[in-house]
Amino acid sequence: MANRYILRQVAQAALTIMMIVLLNFILFRMMPGSPERILLGRNPNVTAEALQQTKERWGLDKPLLPDQFVAYVVATAQGDLGYSYVYRGKPVADVLAERIGPTLLLFGLAELIAIVAGLSIGAYSGWRRGGAVDYVGNGISLILYSMPYFLIGMGLLVIFATGLGWFPTYGMVTPGATYASTWDHVVDILAHLALPLACVAIGLIGQYSILMRASVVETMNDDYVTTARAKGLTDGRVLRHHALPNALLPAVTLIAVNIGYVVAGAITAEKVFNWPGLGTLTVEALEARDFPVLQGIFLLLSISVVVANLIADLLYGRLDPRVRT
Amino acid sequence: MTTQVLTAGQLRRQRLALRAQGWRDFVRRFSRRREGVIGVAILALFTLLALAPVFFVGPLETAVTASGGRLEPPSPTHIFGTDELGRDMLNLTVHGTRISLMIGFLATVVTVSVGVVLGVISGFVGGRTDTILMRITDFFLVLPTFVLALVLTPIIRDALGGGGEIFGIRVSLLVIVVAIGITSWASTARIIRSQTLSLRGRAFVDRARVIGAGPVHTMMRHILPNVINLIVANAVLVFAGAVLTETALSYLGLGDPFQPSWGQILNAADQAGAPGLGAWWYLVPPGASIVLVVLAFTLVGGALDDVLSPKRTGRK
Repeated sequence: MANRYILRQVAQAALTIMMIVLLNFILFRMMPGSPERILLGRNPNVTAEALQQTKERWGLDKPLLPDQFVAYVVATAQGDLGYSYVYRGKPVADVLAERIGPTLLLFGLAELIAIVAGLSIGAYSGWRRGGAVDYVGNGISLILYSMPYFLIGMGLLVIFATGLGWFPTYGMVTPGATYASTWDHVVDILAHLALPLACVAIGLIGQYSILMRASVVETMNDDYVTTARAKGLTDGRVLRHHALPNALLPAVTLIAVNIGYVVAGAITAEKVFNWPGLGTLTVEALEARDFPVLQGIFLLLSISVVVANLIADLLYGRLDPRVRT
Repeated sequence: MTTQVLTAGQLRRQRLALRAQGWRDFVRRFSRRREGVIGVAILALFTLLALAPVFFVGPLETAVTASGGRLEPPSPTHIFGTDELGRDMLNLTVHGTRISLMIGFLATVVTVSVGVVLGVISGFVGGRTDTILMRITDFFLVLPTFVLALVLTPIIRDALGGGGEIFGIRVSLLVIVVAIGITSWASTARIIRSQTLSLRGRAFVDRARVIGAGPVHTMMRHILPNVINLIVANAVLVFAGAVLTETALSYLGLGDPFQPSWGQILNAADQAGAPGLGAWWYLVPPGASIVLVVLAFTLVGGALDDVLSPKRTGRK
C-alpha cells in the first residue's frame, strides 16, 4: 500500500508541475511584443539569422498548439528559460542561479529558527492555556499575523540600523570592502544578515506558534491524553510522549502548505534590506518589465512549493500510517 | 386539531418577524464577543475616513499643494509629520484609507463571487464537472498565488494601457483588483463546495426537485440562502487577505502614485530612503493603519465564524 501512496503523491505533483508549465506558456503568449523578440531580449542589433534561429528553436513559425507548446516544454525541461531584457541578453537560468544562494541562506535559516521557536512557544501556550505566556504570546502572534513582513523589516531597520547603528542598513556585504581573512568576510555577511533574518523569523514565529497552539489544544482533548493522565503519568511525560508527537504532525504539514505564502513575504522582506536574492531580483525585473526573468522566477518558485508540499505529504504518510489509504 | 389558514399578508408578516428575530439573535450573540466588537469599532472608524476623506483632511495634497517642508517630524501643524515632498502624512494616510479599502472591497467581491459560483456548481452538479473544477482549485491552492499576481499585474496593465479611468477608479488600480481576484478564490470555492455537498443530500433539496425545480432555481433559491452565513464569514477573512496583498503589490511598485494606497505610501517612503534617514513618521501612520485594519478583520472574522457556524457553539 505504501508504494501506491507514494506513487499517487508523485503523480499528482507531476501533474501540478505540468499545469504550472502550461500556465507559464499561456502567460508567455499574453506578454506584449512578439515572442521571438521577447526570447532574444530587447536587443536592437539582432541579426536576421539569430531571429530565424530563435523562431526554429521555439517552433514559432509553426502552429501554437501543439508544436509551439511542445517546443516550449522541451526548452523548459532543458533549463532554457529565454533571455533577460536587462542583463544584456544573459540566459534567465543564469540570472536566477546567481540570486538563489542568498535567498536560500536567508530563508533556510529563518525557517529553522522559526520552526524551533514558533513550535516551542505554541506548544507551551497550548499546554498552559489561559496562562500568562499564552495570553501575551497570543496577542503578539495575532499582531504579527496582521503585519506584512516588510513592515516588520522597516521597523527593525529604523530602530536597530538607523537609530542605534548596530547593523548595516542594506545589502549582503559592505560595498568595496576587502577582507583580511575568510572569517572577516563571514562576520560581515552575518552582520548584514542579522536584521533580514530577524524580520523573516519574527514574521514566521507568529504564524507557527498560532498553528502549534491550536494543534496542541486539539490534541489535549483526545482520549489517549486523558488515558495517559489517568495512568498517573507526570505532566511533562504526558506532554512529551503523548500529546506532542501527535500535535506536531498537523502543524508540520501546515508549515509545508504555508511555504507558498512565505515565498510571497520573502520577496517584500528582501526589498526592504536590499538583500541580493530572488526577491530583490523580482523587484528589479518588475521595474524594468523584464518579463522572461519574472516568468523564470514564477516557474522556479511554484515548482519549489510543489516539491516542498510533496515532501511534506510523503513525510506525513511515513509518520502517520492512517493517511496511507 | 384545526389548521390555521394564513392569508398571504399574514404569512409575509410572520416571515419578516422571524427574520427580524434571527437578526436580533445574531446581534445579541455577536455583541457578546468582545474581540468582535472591538474589530467592528475599528472598521467603522476606518470606513468613515474612507467614505469622506475630504471632509476630514481636505483634498489629497500633491507636490504642488503640499503644505509643509521636506520630511518634517511631527509637530502641532502636521501631527503626523510630512513626506519628502512636504505633503502632510495625515492627509496622505486618510486618503490612502479610501484607496486601500476600495481595492480591498472590490477584490473581495470578485474573489468571493468567483469562489461561490464555482463552489456551488462544483458541489451541486458533481460528477466530472466537480472533478475538473476541484483539480483547478487545488492547483490554485498549491500555487504561490502572490507571485502569480505579481507577474499578472504588469501583463494585464500593459495589455490595457494603464491610463484612464472607469467609474472614477484608475485602470491601474482595477488591474490590481483583477489580479487579486483571479488568484485568491480557491479557498472560498473549497469551503462553499463542501457545504453545498452536505446541503445537496438534505430533504428540502429533494422536495424542491420533486415539485419540478430546475438546477439553477435550486442553486439560487435553496442552496445559496443556506450558505450565505459561510459566505459572510469567509468574505471578512478574504478582505483581510486582499488588503495585505494589495499592500504588498503596491509596496513592490505596482501601485499608482496618483491614487496612493497605504502600500504605495510605504513604497514612496522606501524610494525616499525614509528608513535610512530615520523618518519613522513616514512609516508609522500607513503601517499602523494596515495592521489595525487587518487585525480588525481577523477579529471580526473569528467572532463571526464562532457565532454563525452552528458546530462551534458551546466550544471555546
